[in-house]
Amino acid sequence: ADYEWTFQTSETAGEPGFVNKQKWADDVATLSGGRIAIEILPIGSVVPHTDTLDAVGAGILQGHLTDPSYFSGKDPAFAMMGNLVGAWSDPFELLGFMQSGGGNELYSELVEPYGVKFIGAAATEPEAFVSRLPIRTVEDLKGVKLRAPEGMVYEIFSKAGAAPVSLPGSEIFSALDKGVVDAADNTVFATNQALGMNDIANFPLYPGFHSLPMIDVSMNKQIWDGLPEDLQEILLTSVKQFSFNHIYSVRQLDASAVEQAKANPEIEIINWSGDERAKFRRIAQQEWQNWAPKTAMTQRYYDAVTAYLKGRNLL
Amino acid sequence: MAKVAEIIHQVEDHDAEVRTGLDHALTQAAKFFAWAIFVAFLISVVEVVSRYVFNSPTFWAHETTSFLIAAVFLIGGPVALARDKHIRVRMFYDAVGPKRKRVLDIVNSLIALVFFGGLAFASWIMVSKSWFTPTGAFHLEGTGTSWNPPTPALLKLLVLICVVVMFVQTLLHLIAAIRRPADPAAPVETGAE
Amino acid sequence: MDLSALGIEYGSYLLVAAIFLLLLTGQPLAWVTGLVALVFTFGWFGPMALPLVTSRIFGFITEYSLVAIPMFILMAALLDRSGIAKSLFNGMRILAGRLPGGVAVQTLIVAILMAAMSGVIGGEIVLLGILALPQMLRLGYDRNLSIGVVCAGGSLGTMMPPSIVLIIFGLVANVSIADLFVAAITPALLLLAFYVAYVLFMCWRNPELGPPMSEEEAAQESLASALRSLAAPLFIVFVVLGSIYGGVASITEAAAMGVSAVMIISLFRRELTVKLIQDSLVHTLETCGMIIWIGIAAAVLVGVYNLMGGNRFVAQSILAIDAPPVVIIMVMMVILLVLGMFLDWIGIALLTLPIFVPIVIQLGYDPIWFGILFAVNMQVSYLTPPFGPAAFYLKSVAPREITLKHIYVALLPFIALQLVVLGIILFFPPIATWAI
Ligand code: NA
Ligand code: NA
Repeated sequence: ADYEWTFQTSETAGEPGFVNKQKWADDVATLSGGRIAIEILPIGSVVPHTDTLDAVGAGILQGHLTDPSYFSGKDPAFAMMGNLVGAWSDPFELLGFMQSGGGNELYSELVEPYGVKFIGAAATEPEAFVSRLPIRTVEDLKGVKLRAPEGMVYEIFSKAGAAPVSLPGSEIFSALDKGVVDAADNTVFATNQALGMNDIANFPLYPGFHSLPMIDVSMNKQIWDGLPEDLQEILLTSVKQFSFNHIYSVRQLDASAVEQAKANPEIEIINWSGDERAKFRRIAQQEWQNWAPKTAMTQRYYDAVTAYLKGRNLL
Repeated sequence: MAKVAEIIHQVEDHDAEVRTGLDHALTQAAKFFAWAIFVAFLISVVEVVSRYVFNSPTFWAHETTSFLIAAVFLIGGPVALARDKHIRVRMFYDAVGPKRKRVLDIVNSLIALVFFGGLAFASWIMVSKSWFTPTGAFHLEGTGTSWNPPTPALLKLLVLICVVVMFVQTLLHLIAAIRRPADPAAPVETGAE
Repeated sequence: MDLSALGIEYGSYLLVAAIFLLLLTGQPLAWVTGLVALVFTFGWFGPMALPLVTSRIFGFITEYSLVAIPMFILMAALLDRSGIAKSLFNGMRILAGRLPGGVAVQTLIVAILMAAMSGVIGGEIVLLGILALPQMLRLGYDRNLSIGVVCAGGSLGTMMPPSIVLIIFGLVANVSIADLFVAAITPALLLLAFYVAYVLFMCWRNPELGPPMSEEEAAQESLASALRSLAAPLFIVFVVLGSIYGGVASITEAAAMGVSAVMIISLFRRELTVKLIQDSLVHTLETCGMIIWIGIAAAVLVGVYNLMGGNRFVAQSILAIDAPPVVIIMVMMVILLVLGMFLDWIGIALLTLPIFVPIVIQLGYDPIWFGILFAVNMQVSYLTPPFGPAAFYLKSVAPREITLKHIYVALLPFIALQLVVLGIILFFPPIATWAI
């Protein structure tokens, strides 16, 4: 191959996201007639997940496919753009905003100073919620000890009356199992079901309502600038292809996992009504307003998202 | 039985090899820094009590504990170096005479200097990226939570500090090894060959 | 200097050779591993790649589960200095009565209790090393036997649930962590049984290795006083296990709960002073410095080896085999054992599992069973030279006259026992899978 690159992802090797990202790399190889060979590595293989942006900029990695929230410590705009909690309940809404609401342009502008070229966005199905307690309404969140990760999630759940606990990913299982926490914000339903999360916490909330992270596919800008136009076009197009493939594949996996969970009489899947989802979104919106004035970029992003959501009659 | 207790005590306090003034200063400073572990312990207990008893987990305990322990891990490097406690394979080293041992000490110090020098260079880049945005504006990298303490920026600076301290420690060890008489019976002043 | 011209195969050989050679100079192990990683980063990818090294340092030290390690070490230092450790072992000696090796067997039982209290290796071995090793030596136990019991027993923490190794395997392989936990219990107990049987057999053949009390001594000691001396340690175990299994604290926090239990007890025994706390803290800081910098260096090595394409090298070795499935599994075991000599488990997991697990599933094997094989294999890796974390942890707290060589020699029979258990699970999978 003319170009041999290493891209690091934000998933472990077993997660559906990782497998689909490998398929994307295969597609790029095929479409480019073997001129580009990309090796896809799992989370933490070369640098910690919080450092891939710098590593791509420095050319240590040639690219990454990751969740921008991991860079929130560098700039609050990453937290908002990576996972605007409560904003999206369908990945195509997020992709629509990226494509036609100004999202792509803003995100490109955000990462460019780091020496990184944003190729395109993908998204996953809304993340599921695992819980030991039946949480049927926003009201039920009151006093629930729930694990929340970095970003905006913590504050929003706190506003909704819950008692958020910060715990690293490797502690979630044991903490839920023994009841240190009552619920946890974790990945998609299919993965939770496979990991046995729903067996120890019997009241999963699905489809999720809170978290729908963006997947950022980016590469080193210097390498990008040196690419012939046809290869640039192949990369741009293949990422769009990847975003479709990924959504449909997770949908299918979720569906069969839901069927499996339904067959288990001990598991009750809870699906929030539209009213409850709207209630939660209104709480989340207050927190968006708190984040908006942090920088010029967060304000522009906030304005763009609210304009898009209003135009779609979602706000 | 008392004898074993003595041996244990000796292991911990006396057979450490404090070679230079800097090493001595670090050994003293360790007595202060070690309390960070105690603070981390207290914070963990506070978090457990406020979560389990009062059902109100703190937003700060987890990140503070992480920060304190990470700092302890880093500082432990120079402190263990000061007391020559880092684990080595001594089979060959212990088998050679004082003359060769001195040569080995010199060579090892030189190799270690390359290591710490390389680390210092790399840490410098890491620190500059966590203290300044790509456009050059001053901004401390935070953890990215709602609280967002600037602990990553501080820890990255601490990496640089610890690496530089170990560089200087090693440099002083190198000087001491060069000055050391090749023949241990000879007085120090005439030791340099 | 462009090392990448070597290609991954010869690059791997050079890397290993460089580590071996530098180790012989008596240079601290952490600097050896770190330097080799640094030189390969520079030589393979150029100076712009060097931040990879410090990035991994930062990633390693901020790993939250490691917070438990200083807590365990602090617990051990306090126990040792307060005299609780001494009375515990006096009590255990009385309980052991006339049974040769009885104290070693009880130490193994303490080890499995601790295994249920922790998820990462490190703290437990240091704890046992501080607590049990001097006491066993004091009671006249054979040095090699004592070292082996401490290291092999102390490693069980990652086999017995809760275990970070199994959690990471579950996340990487996308299989149920609950099933892994259940499946791991029997093999963990089997390992324990083998260790106990070995100790009893050796001491039965030669009671000098684990001398029991004499008749006169036995006549003097009362069972009641023995039980009294066990009350304090049992309270500590109760606090730690209770806070984990009662849902009070996370595994990491439970270690801090243990520290508070030790403090409360020594307060009651009127042994707690500021000086005692201060000394224990300094000891903890220093021990952390030793063991964490080795971990830091290993983490850096894994990062650069992954970027060099180490995973491709592993994949090639597997895909080259044209043999029955069970042979492929055995080759995987051999690769894991060899890697276990040089890398720590997290590095091995990152490097091999993304390649191995899909093949295992494709061959029609149960990934849960393979997860248990992996966990047992990692038990072996803790003990094998030259990079044997258990040996380092023990060395960091053992009396200085005990060298790394002594430790590794002492570990050989225990490595053999682990390999036997590995073979048993390999050929009789139900040992792992019957419960799920
Ligand atoms: Na365990
Ligand atoms: Na090993």
